[in-house]
Amino acid sequence: MTALTDFQDAFAAALAGDAAPLGPWLADAQAPGLSVYRNTIAKGRVDALAANFPTVAALVGDEWFGAAAALFAREHPPAGAALLAYGEGFAEWLARFPPADDLPYLPAMATMDALRTRALFAAEAEALSPDAFALEPEALAAARPRPHPSLAFAWFDSGLPALWLAARDNDIGAMTWNPEPQGILIVRPAETVACRVIDAATHAFLAAVRDEAPLGEAIGAAAEADPDTDLPALFAALIADGVFVGLGDA
Amino acid sequence: MTPTAGLGLKPQHYDEAQARLAQGLWFEVHPENYMSAGGPRLRRLAAIRERHPLSLHGVGLSLAADADPDPAHLAALKALADRFEPFVVSEHLAWSTWRGVHQPDLLPFPRTRAALDRIAANIGRTQDALGRAILVENPSLYLPLAGHELDETEFLAELARRTGCGLLVDVNNVFVSAANLGYAPEAYLDALPARAIGEIHLAGHGADEGGSALLIDTHAAPVSEAVWALYARLVARIGPRPTLVERDDDIPAFEVLMAERDRAHAVLAEAGA
Repeated sequence: MTALTDFQDAFAAALAGDAAPLGPWLADAQAPGLSVYRNTIAKGRVDALAANFPTVAALVGDEWFGAAAALFAREHPPAGAALLAYGEGFAEWLARFPPADDLPYLPAMATMDALRTRALFAAEAEALSPDAFALEPEALAAARPRPHPSLAFAWFDSGLPALWLAARDNDIGAMTWNPEPQGILIVRPAETVACRVIDAATHAFLAAVRDEAPLGEAIGAAAEADPDTDLPALFAALIADGVFVGLGDA
Repeated sequence: MTPTAGLGLKPQHYDEAQARLAQGLWFEVHPENYMSAGGPRLRRLAAIRERHPLSLHGVGLSLAADADPDPAHLAALKALADRFEPFVVSEHLAWSTWRGVHQPDLLPFPRTRAALDRIAANIGRTQDALGRAILVENPSLYLPLAGHELDETEFLAELARRTGCGLLVDVNNVFVSAANLGYAPEAYLDALPARAIGEIHLAGHGADEGGSALLIDTHAAPVSEAVWALYARLVARIGPRPTLVERDDDIPAFEVLMAERDRAHAVLAEAGA
């Protein structure tokens, strides 16, 4: 232990509310400067969470979000200075946060915000054009499509993805909670993040691709999820979304 | 082009920053905001870097912590420095990460000789990792800590002497700290070694909304006339140095910030930049 270590332990305690250990360095435990540091740190963490969870922040308003985010940050402070991904576990935390009991859709909103934030900062990769899939049927069925590094998708028991998209677009009129299950697809093949609602067949297809299944198997999974689905249209839409960046051999 | 006066780059000004050409104009960013695998921010920064000099001004290396700099953070900083070839890489005489918890602020410490040894070693590690010298900035201070063995100016001069790092003089931080701790900002600035100073920062401050008598380094207001006067005095003594106008809150239109940066440019031009 050095004096600098002792000081930093004492200062960290003071930031958390107990200024007594800082006594050897600071006579006045009520010094207003301590509040300045506490406020700056709280604001920095809340601002980072608001940037990473913009839909949650918009839905609940600045005051509610600021109070909730400050509590989350106290329990789960960031580990490092790059705050671009800060907020892991915020959705699960909101699900256990009693004041959010009246907002049962909120954790799902946070889950989708986090997926979108991750897609925003994911690695660059060029999406395959439709020409890349002009293969003999057997070769195509055996090929394993590689997903874009930014690809994220999830399935929900009800129409939360449509609710999230409407909230993102600030389209309050469209914010109805459809009871039908649906999924969300998020991908950033170029400059902007694209988000859309997906059906069970598309979700099954993407899950198979994520598990490195060959294309034939992924198509089978989609057909099984929804025998009525238009498979060529489903596949063409995903190619247009820029979901695939490569085709590996069987 | 020699960088004269620059602006802190804000995402809402990407288009204007990319398009604008002005003599000596450069931009500065916090590397922490660009530490990602990819994404539109990095693309925009690359496009702006094609037309303007860039400085990386770190806020998260925690040089004054009694711990080695985080290797992952250093590696991410080096990757950005290698990619964007900034003309300056700078950090703060402060700490922010301690025992695995990051406090997004620039925290104070008692300036002891032992702290000097530790921080000089941390600067040395950083410079070795980056393969270049960095500049170290004076923080804004809010607490009358006991236990200092060196004045801040002595401390900074000694860091420069030992490590070969340069100094980034934030004139607004000098003004705020001097007001909060009760010393003369002119004497502070006069005590800094001119040769070590590689960059100057200007920003706005405000009163403490908490009601105390403290001045707060808010970066939410125009540069005050008192800080402009100290700046002119400093440049008259040491000569022109790349100067940044910082604004991080209540951000006005790009041209409003450009007018402030033009004022700094005029001071530098008068001094022979």
